[in-house]
Amino acid sequence: MAFLQWLETTAIADAVRTIPWLYPALESAHYIGIACLVGGIMLIDLRLLGVAKKLPIATMVTLLPWVWAGFLINLVTGGTIFIYGATGFGTNPPFQLKMALIALAGINAFLFEIAARRGRNSWVIDGQAPAMVKGVATLSLILWMSVVATGRWMAYV
Amino acid sequence: MNFLNWLQNTPVAIFVAETLWAYPLLETMHTLGMAMLLGSLGLINLRVLGYKRALPIIGTRDLLPVAWIGFSINAFSGLMLFTSDAVNFFSSNTFRVKITLIVIAGINAAILSRKLYTSGGDDAALVALPGVKGLAASSLVFWVVAVICGRIYAYYPYYSY
Repeated sequence: MAFLQWLETTAIADAVRTIPWLYPALESAHYIGIACLVGGIMLIDLRLLGVAKKLPIATMVTLLPWVWAGFLINLVTGGTIFIYGATGFGTNPPFQLKMALIALAGINAFLFEIAARRGRNSWVIDGQAPAMVKGVATLSLILWMSVVATGRWMAYV
Repeated sequence: MNFLNWLQNTPVAIFVAETLWAYPLLETMHTLGMAMLLGSLGLINLRVLGYKRALPIIGTRDLLPVAWIGFSINAFSGLMLFTSDAVNFFSSNTFRVKITLIVIAGINAAILSRKLYTSGGDDAALVALPGVKGLAASSLVFWVVAVICGRIYAYYPYYSY
C-alpha cells in the first residue's frame, strides 16, 4: 500500500493529474492498442479456427508483431494510468483479475509463438491447424474478451 | 431535444443508466466490436496499400463478415449507450464528429469493397484501380479518429464542444 501511495506522488502521476488532455490521450492510445492487440490476435485466432480459408495461415501468423506492438502500447499507457490511480486500481478486484487474465493470455500467446515457430514446416504451411492449436486459439479469444470485460468492469466498482 | 428527452426516459434508457452491469457490459461489447471492425478493415486497407502481399485480395473478402458483425455489435451497443444519456451525447461536438466520421467511413468502406471485390483481375490490377489506395488510406484515418473521438467524449463530456 505504501508503494502504491508513493506511485501516486511521482511526477508521472502528477502529470496525468494536472495536464487536462493527457488522460483522454492515454485512453485513446490504449484503445488503439486494443485494436492492434485484440484485432490482430482475433484475426489470427479466427483464421486458425477456419475463418477466411483463402488467406494463408503462414502469412496470417506473421501478423503477430501487431499483437506485440499493441501489447507494448497498452503496457505503457495502462502503466501510466495505473501510476496515476495506483491506490484505487491496485485494490480493485476486477483490475487484479484483469492482470491475472493478461498473464494467462500472455502465457497462451507465448505457447502459440513456440508452436507456430516449431510448425513452420508442417501445419503452418499445410494451412490446417491441429486440434491443439485450435484449442489455444479458442482459449486466446476467450481470455482477451475477458480482459476487455474486466477492464470495463473495473471502472464501475 | 423533445425526442432526445423522450428517448432517455424510455424504460430501455433507464435500464442502461441505472442497472449496475448494463453499462460496463455494453461498453465491453462496444470495445470488442471496435477491435473486430478495425482489425478486419485495417488488414484489408493495409493489404491494398501494399502490406502482406502474400494475402490474396479476393481472400480478404472473407474478412467482411467479421467487419459487419463488429459493426452490428457496435451499432446496437452504441445506440443503447446513447439512449441512456441522449441529450448530453447529442449536444457534444466530439460525439457529432464521431458519428459523422463513422457515416463517411462506412460509405468509404462500401465504395472500396465494391471496387475491390467486383472488378475482377489479379491482385496487382486490383490495387492499381483508380482511387483504391486513397480510399484505403482515408478509411484507416477515419476509423482511428472515430475511436479517438469516442475516448475524448468520454472524458470531456461537458467542455469538449
